[in-house]
Amino acid sequence: MTSTGAGVVAQGVRRRFGDVEAVRGIDLTAAPGEVTALVGPNGAGKTTLLLVLATLLVPDAGEVRVAGFDPVREPDAVRARMGWSPDVFGLYDNLTAREYLQFFADAYRLGPARAKARAQELLDLARLAEFADRPVHVLSRGQKQRLGLTRALVHEPEVLLLDEPASGLDPRSRVELRDLLRALAAAGTAVIVSSHLLGDLEELADRVVFVDRGATVGEHRLDQLPEATVARPWRLRALDTDALVAALTRNGYDHDVPGPAGVDVRITGDEAAADLLAGLVRDGIRVVSCQPLGGALEAAYLELTQ
Amino acid sequence: MSPHGIATVAQQEFRLRIRAGRWRVLLSIWFAVLVLFTCLLRAALGGFSNEDVADKGIVIYGGLMLFVLGLALLVVPALAAQSVNGDRERGTLATLQVTRLSAADICLGKFAAAWGTALVFLFVTLPLVVYAIAQKGVPVGRVAVVTVVLALLLGTVCAISLALSALLSRTTTSGVLAYLAVFALTVGTLIAFGLTTAITTEPYTSSYQNPCPSASQLPQDLPQAQRDQILAGCGQTQTFQETRSRTDRTWWLLAPNPFVILADAAPQLPPLTAAQKRQRQADEQRGVFRQDARDIDPLGGLGRAVRGLREPPTAIGRSTVGYSQVGPVSGGYSSQLSIALDPPKRRRPVWPYGLAFDVAVAAGALWVTTRRLATPSRNLPKGQRVA
Ligand SMILES: Nc1ncnc2c1ncn2[C@@H]1O[C@H](COP(=O)(O)OP(=O)(O)OP(=O)(O)O)[C@@H](O)[C@H]1O
Ligand SMILES: [Mg+2]
Repeated sequence: MTSTGAGVVAQGVRRRFGDVEAVRGIDLTAAPGEVTALVGPNGAGKTTLLLVLATLLVPDAGEVRVAGFDPVREPDAVRARMGWSPDVFGLYDNLTAREYLQFFADAYRLGPARAKARAQELLDLARLAEFADRPVHVLSRGQKQRLGLTRALVHEPEVLLLDEPASGLDPRSRVELRDLLRALAAAGTAVIVSSHLLGDLEELADRVVFVDRGATVGEHRLDQLPEATVARPWRLRALDTDALVAALTRNGYDHDVPGPAGVDVRITGDEAAADLLAGLVRDGIRVVSCQPLGGALEAAYLELTQ
Repeated sequence: MSPHGIATVAQQEFRLRIRAGRWRVLLSIWFAVLVLFTCLLRAALGGFSNEDVADKGIVIYGGLMLFVLGLALLVVPALAAQSVNGDRERGTLATLQVTRLSAADICLGKFAAAWGTALVFLFVTLPLVVYAIAQKGVPVGRVAVVTVVLALLLGTVCAISLALSALLSRTTTSGVLAYLAVFALTVGTLIAFGLTTAITTEPYTSSYQNPCPSASQLPQDLPQAQRDQILAGCGQTQTFQETRSRTDRTWWLLAPNPFVILADAAPQLPPLTAAQKRQRQADEQRGVFRQDARDIDPLGGLGRAVRGLREPPTAIGRSTVGYSQVGPVSGGYSSQLSIALDPPKRRRPVWPYGLAFDVAVAAGALWVTTRRLATPSRNLPKGQRVA
């Protein structure tokens, strides 16, 4: 698959439900070949935005293009090129995993022979081949989640919208999901993932869009996250904890009571961290490790969403 | 909308239905109830005093079909009444809506699966229909028409139930309302007809002229006093206050009733052939009397009755007058007036209106369902999430 798609462009999207304005001005772009993370607190409007992109909801306002088409005026063209996996979904009881995938292959008009082959491909991909002919309702939650995800891939979409795909997955499946999404992106798919697992996203995403209370509050490449302007905890460990604490207190740093893992110090930005470390070394404290608590993404998240 | 899309959805729904339900048990019960009914009906016909019924098939078939309709109206609403909102509750609707299946594909596929299931129930009655036909007298044309009409009526109920499942978010509500809709079509139309008929009952004045019999027309032994009285009143105008119900204004309330449609649509039986009449006379001369099944034909009888309701009552003053012997006690005669409304001259069919109405309602229901399934959606019912 070569990257011919146009990805996703959304500008000024608004959508209200009665008197709740779920989305009030989200801007987002997702380029083909990239994984874009959609991050924000509960109720920020991520699911609502994805429903708009997935041709299920009409936005009250805003310009939206998915794979180059307008989801409101040309939903079928979008559907042919877009795969969507919701955060919660049901599977049909009394249907085997294979039948489930084949049904969706039919629904996407793949043709009988292709449908059969594609179902097998996806079962292998999701490591569900051994459950292929068992009823889906006996699958575990994570297995169901994987099956639901592969359903979104049935027609090899050029835009993939995933709403919290990693929830309920074991660590190994999460690594596999990451690898799968990276592979799809490498093949030219525009992937949008909403997730609360920031650690995972850090290794998965190329770009991140922060949303809060229905609006975009930041859109960054992951390697260009904004400089911290608010104090965040960093964790320090030294051979002599008492001397470390004494040195911190002497230099007026805001620190916690030391625990078995080390001492947490609130500092602002990488510059300040480097200064602190240099000072401690100068004071003869033998520092073993110094690292921010939570990743850079988490820091940026906490900074942008109040 | 595409045949492939509709077939995809219908097949899927059918497969899920077959795997989910205890169909063999359900169909067996259905069949057993019908067999029981048929046996009882047959036995009841045998017990018509000592008169045998000719062409029993007419009665058995008619009774069976009305019974099948009644029983099916109890089963069919359940087939579609939770189709859309049930999928929404289980979280399987939105994933279907983002595929290349159109809203019409989903709607018609679900409808086809529900209707197909209803037709399976109909199909199971086939052995009993064959039995009824073997009992003689049922014209093939009647079987064909009744089968088609029955199928259309069940389709209507499926479509209405489906629309309710698309309109309401709770499966229990749509289930109850589907049965209420069937109740409205069957009992509701009857009640509406009955009540409005009472309202339209109007008084009218009937006047007639006493006839003038010639002296020779009166019985020879009529006492002179009475004879004089009759001849004196001859030519006088008498008026009577009567009431009549104008069912010709309210008959259409009955038209959507499935039973009315089915009975009235069934073609009337052909009149007895000359050979049959001769046979009957010969039988009667030998002392063998048969009850004619035409007189107790359930479909034809109901149809004729409904058609009669459609006609306006006979014009005022067209009453008939007769003389009859009052009783042997006094040994005398009296003139007696009998006012009878003439039987309607024509009996125009009612079922085309009813069937057209029901089919139109079904089409409307399917249209509403498609509208509700169409995405992207602008308005969501309160408290309903897409996914
Ligand atoms: N159908 C609806 N009717 C009414 N309010 C709704 C509806 N859908 C969403 N909302 C409201 O819109 C807001 C955004 O909801 P949304 O599901 O998009 O959040 P989210 O970012 O996906 O949250 P989470 O991280 O918890 O999944 C919430 O306040 C929610 O209550
Ligand atoms: Mg959500």
